[in-house]
Amino acid sequence: MNQKSEFSVEGLRDYNRCGPVRWIISHCLEHKLYLFVGLFGFALTYIAFSGARVMFGRGAELIIEGGDAQAVIAVSLAVLILSVSDGLFALLGSMVMVILSTRVERDSRHELYASLLGKSQTFHDQQRVGDIMARATDDVRQLNFVIHPGIMFIFDMFLGFAVPMIYIAAINLELLLAPVIFVICYVFVVRRYMRRLEPVMMQQRMQYGTLSARLEETISGIEIVKVAAQEIEERKKFKRNAWKYRDFFVQQGKIEAAYLPLLMFGIAFGFFFLHCLNLYSRGILSIGDIIAVAGLMQVISFPVFISLFSISMIQLGIAGARRILELIEQRADIDENLAGHGAAVVGAIEFDHVTFKFHGSTVLEDVSFTVEPGQTVAIVGQTGSGKSTLTQLVSRTYDVDEGRVLIDGVDVRDWNLDRLRSQMGKIEQDIFLFSRSIADNIAFGVQNATAEEIENAAKEAQAHDFIMSFNDGYESEIGERGVTLSGGQRQRLALARAFLRQPRILILDDSTSAIDSATEDEIQKAMRRAQEGRTTILITHRLSQIRWADRIIVLENGRAIANGSHEELLRSSEHYRRIFARYGAVESPIGQLAAGGGA
Amino acid sequence: MGFIMDGLDAEEYDRIYSDWALVKRILGYFKSHLWKMLVVGAVVFLSSVMDLILPVVVSQALDQLQFSPEAFDPIGTSIILGVAASAGWVANMIRQWLSAEAVGDVTLDLREDAFNAVTERDMSFYDQYPTGKVVSRVLSDTQAFSETVRLSINLMSRLLLVVLLIIYLFTVNVNMTWVLMAIIPFIVYTALKFRTVARRTVTNSRRQLATVNAHIQESISGIGVAKAFRREQMIYDEFKTVNQESYEVEKINGFVFGSIFPILVTIAGLGVAAVVWFGINMAQQGILTAGEWFLFIQGMGMIWFPLTSISSFWSQFQLGLAAGERVFALIDAEALVKQNADDPVDQLEGEIEFVNMDFHYNEGEQVLKDFSLRIRPGETLALVGHTGSGKSSIAKLISRFYEFQQGALLIDGVDIRYFNLSSYRSQLGVVTQTPFLFDGTVMDNIRYGKPEASDEEVIEVAHQVGRGDWLASLQEGLETQVGERGNNLSMGQRQLVAIARVLLQDPAIFILDEATASVDPLTETLIQEGLDTLLGDRTSIVIAHRLSTIQHADRIIVLELGEIIESGSHDSLMAAGGHYATLYDSYFRHQSLEYIERMAG
Ligand SMILES: Nc1ncnc2c1ncn2[C@@H]1O[C@H](COP(=O)(O)OP(=O)(O)O)[C@@H](O)[C@H]1O
Ligand SMILES: Nc1ncnc2c1ncn2[C@@H]1O[C@H](COP(=O)(O)OP(=O)(O)O)[C@@H](O)[C@H]1O
Ligand SMILES: [Mg+2]
Ligand SMILES: [Mg+2]
Repeated sequence: MNQKSEFSVEGLRDYNRCGPVRWIISHCLEHKLYLFVGLFGFALTYIAFSGARVMFGRGAELIIEGGDAQAVIAVSLAVLILSVSDGLFALLGSMVMVILSTRVERDSRHELYASLLGKSQTFHDQQRVGDIMARATDDVRQLNFVIHPGIMFIFDMFLGFAVPMIYIAAINLELLLAPVIFVICYVFVVRRYMRRLEPVMMQQRMQYGTLSARLEETISGIEIVKVAAQEIEERKKFKRNAWKYRDFFVQQGKIEAAYLPLLMFGIAFGFFFLHCLNLYSRGILSIGDIIAVAGLMQVISFPVFISLFSISMIQLGIAGARRILELIEQRADIDENLAGHGAAVVGAIEFDHVTFKFHGSTVLEDVSFTVEPGQTVAIVGQTGSGKSTLTQLVSRTYDVDEGRVLIDGVDVRDWNLDRLRSQMGKIEQDIFLFSRSIADNIAFGVQNATAEEIENAAKEAQAHDFIMSFNDGYESEIGERGVTLSGGQRQRLALARAFLRQPRILILDDSTSAIDSATEDEIQKAMRRAQEGRTTILITHRLSQIRWADRIIVLENGRAIANGSHEELLRSSEHYRRIFARYGAVESPIGQLAAGGGA
Repeated sequence: MGFIMDGLDAEEYDRIYSDWALVKRILGYFKSHLWKMLVVGAVVFLSSVMDLILPVVVSQALDQLQFSPEAFDPIGTSIILGVAASAGWVANMIRQWLSAEAVGDVTLDLREDAFNAVTERDMSFYDQYPTGKVVSRVLSDTQAFSETVRLSINLMSRLLLVVLLIIYLFTVNVNMTWVLMAIIPFIVYTALKFRTVARRTVTNSRRQLATVNAHIQESISGIGVAKAFRREQMIYDEFKTVNQESYEVEKINGFVFGSIFPILVTIAGLGVAAVVWFGINMAQQGILTAGEWFLFIQGMGMIWFPLTSISSFWSQFQLGLAAGERVFALIDAEALVKQNADDPVDQLEGEIEFVNMDFHYNEGEQVLKDFSLRIRPGETLALVGHTGSGKSSIAKLISRFYEFQQGALLIDGVDIRYFNLSSYRSQLGVVTQTPFLFDGTVMDNIRYGKPEASDEEVIEVAHQVGRGDWLASLQEGLETQVGERGNNLSMGQRQLVAIARVLLQDPAIFILDEATASVDPLTETLIQEGLDTLLGDRTSIVIAHRLSTIQHADRIIVLELGEIIESGSHDSLMAAGGHYATLYDSYFRHQSLEYIERMAG
């Protein structure tokens, strides 16, 4: 049952994941004591509850046949005690079940979350955040309801049938006829009912996930929606999805409306009463007995009545559990490899005939190169040629399909993932900032950074000044994904975040594209300092940076078509020269600037 | 309704409605289902009567059995029981069937209204409120609301039963009915007490769930960063705390809700004992028959259950109202961007004029100050300046995403406040700084702004962007799935799709906000060639750091801290030797091989 995982948590139990029901049960069994005490409490509840009905029979006998005051008090007192203990035992059972159900909710959300953290990027590329959200909150909450009151109702059903029937049998065995036939039909009908309801419930949950994911997407992209004036179109789409959900909801309502057992019970009660009357006319039953058994028969109606809700609840819960399991069970392709190589990174990187595919189509093909420790390698190439993807192989975000990526001579797959990644620093092209304070964002990559360190990193990244221009300085909260910052400001925060980490290998993926040249001048100085002594992989379109790289790799359509230092490439690579020629084509102010003594 | 909002992370746009206003509004949603609701009312009555028949018939049968057995017809009685049960069941079925439809439709209507409101809020709204919370208003709150409506219909039918039962019992025996009713105040009192507690715990529980939701949303969105920095442990620890807190709160909430029934059962138990005792005594005095006595005992059970439900679900009901209130607040939220009229916009010439404009997002962080700028129809204007100098903000103001504080913005000489925004924006073509793609194919995304465009048009436009070279790098060409937010494409590819999207729209005004920043210079030059012809006679605003892309602009504006410090053509600005020249110089130090060589050598 051991899955691969990029991240594991200590002390997390293994649950049975063979199916949603077993999974829920295995969660419940973690808290056996509660389960047992709960069962016990509910058993006593029903015994007391049904016992009170028997006492009613006694009371009726006292009325019809007469009895002394003492007997009356005895019966009343018995009813009092039984009714009160009915309530108290129910209280006990219910409290215990609450603990059980909330624990299961907590534990399963925990399990799901840990497993999500352990999944590889390949997995996350394919998920919609809105759907994951729906699963981790709503579906998990459904689990809570499965147990309380869901499972509680199962107890109810079981005990609610068994206990009164035992009492009835004690009064007259023959009277069991109607209830027994009813229970048999009930089991049969309920099974059919559940089979009809299940797909609707499952589809309903799935549609809810879709609805939530679509909504999340529209809101995230609201700027584009507005600017393209597509509000009407989005409304139509939303309406379509909401309609589908509505249909499943109504379908569920209609299936529930035709819940047969309620009708069956009414008819069974008619027969039961007839049977009683028959026994009475044969002198076997007294009126007191009829009152007692009629009361007992009504005890049975309670679980029948309740089962209408509990079945839906249980089915929703199972549907939820299935969706959660679906996520947990998806294969992760990368393992954190705890026993792997864990030395300090020196910084040599080697690509050895690497081929990489996204879903079967090749993105990198037979790429080979080496970078010495401390060197800076620049990767250039057209959009979509695979530059960003190449860096993701270094940090082992994805695994290669063929060939090897070696860090310090050790295949990244043999590295302890934690040791490997924690010694790298990366500025991704698509910068993600968390909606926390600026200070927290800069300090994201390290534990316990001091305010001073944070400030220094910000200064290096030329971010200090603009941060101080905000009302709350470093404590300013950034909106979701950093929406309240300008593009260049976001990049500078990401730079500060990477600088503060002091990594052995630094990966800069187009990290100054939104920054103006003057600001970049300053940043470049800091970057040079940061690059010193560490291996740097640099993706940029700025010649000045490329120029200073020790080695340049030219990618075209996933192939490394040239590789060498700037001078070498100028001499040997037609392609490389062509890139430079493009820059050269721009009308150049150099003459006048050079004449003016340069800058 | 204000009290219930205490602590339930109220947002600024939340407002307080009176209960009556809420109920009226909710009823308004049911208007179109009037006949359904009438039928529901009728069948609710019917099923209550049928539910009442069962105990009454049983009790009368018992009495007959005792006092006049010869006149008693056992089969007839049983048939009545069976028929009553069947009729009740059918009535119930109709009720559920119709109310499922009505509630489903009302929820749908409410969701639609909420969603429409969402699309109408302006950008500052989204800067302020995280996606997760808005989603939860549109989905969860409407859900909670509809649950409540369903519950209310259910309870209403039960309440009716109580009333009918008590009326009937009064005709049987007045004194016993009073004994029975003596317990009601205790039940109601206890349930109301619970309500106070329940309201607090349930509010906490929802707030905690929202926190869990927000945590998951953000950490999963940012999972890539967490992986790259190997900070899963930190995120996990945070989650554990949040989840544990949610557990504690939920447990208490569960205790409260789980104990209401048992405790009330206990109280009802006292009542039953009282009925038993008084009843037997009365019966022994001949005032009550055994059958009637049994009827009162059963009546006890039939009364306490609905009463308990109503009292304890009262908090649920309040919660539903509160959820409704949250949804209505979203629907009614005031737009910060205020339009004075809603005039449709004809074909625009493309003149844009900022008149003495002041603009800030947050008080005290001024972005534009006394800003004036006139862009002629057909002009290509380039904006350059440091990051954070306000370039994108100008673009956003032209898109009318934010409200400005002072001055005016005129489009073709008309105040932008008079436009119908949708028809105005459909003539704008904006490539935003961060490209956002929707899940679907590249083709879908290019077509986004003009859904009726044919495949051929899309293909043509796609080939106009950078001569279509970039299409070759897409795995399945235009049919490539871009993934959520376009994550499965490279950044540069996303920008190219965004450009194609705008080109297809064929707008009167182009705004390109660093639209090619992540594209390699080679591809960029190709795009530029294509754009030059397209932008030729249209108003266009180009923001870029690659000065090579803007030197052919008709006019270049240099911004610093929201003020225009220089303006003119490339040549004149170079000649002036001011900021632009310095910028250009530093840019060239970055980009020109020759220059770099010379400096190095
Ligand atoms: N997560 C992904 N899933 C599928 N395809 C991807 C993914 N990321 C990138 N690609 C594809 O791989 C190719 C290389 O992308 P990338 O490395 O980001 O290019 P760039 O050189 O511009 O950084 C592109 O064609 C892109 O569409
Ligand atoms: N949505 C927003 N909310 C608050 N402040 C913002 C928002 N967008 C931008 N800003 C601030 O306004 C200033 C100008 O930003 P912007 O116009 O994006 O600059 P740029 O010239 O780089 O495009 C910056 O200081 C930025 O932090
Ligand atoms: Mg890239
Ligand atoms: Mg900008």
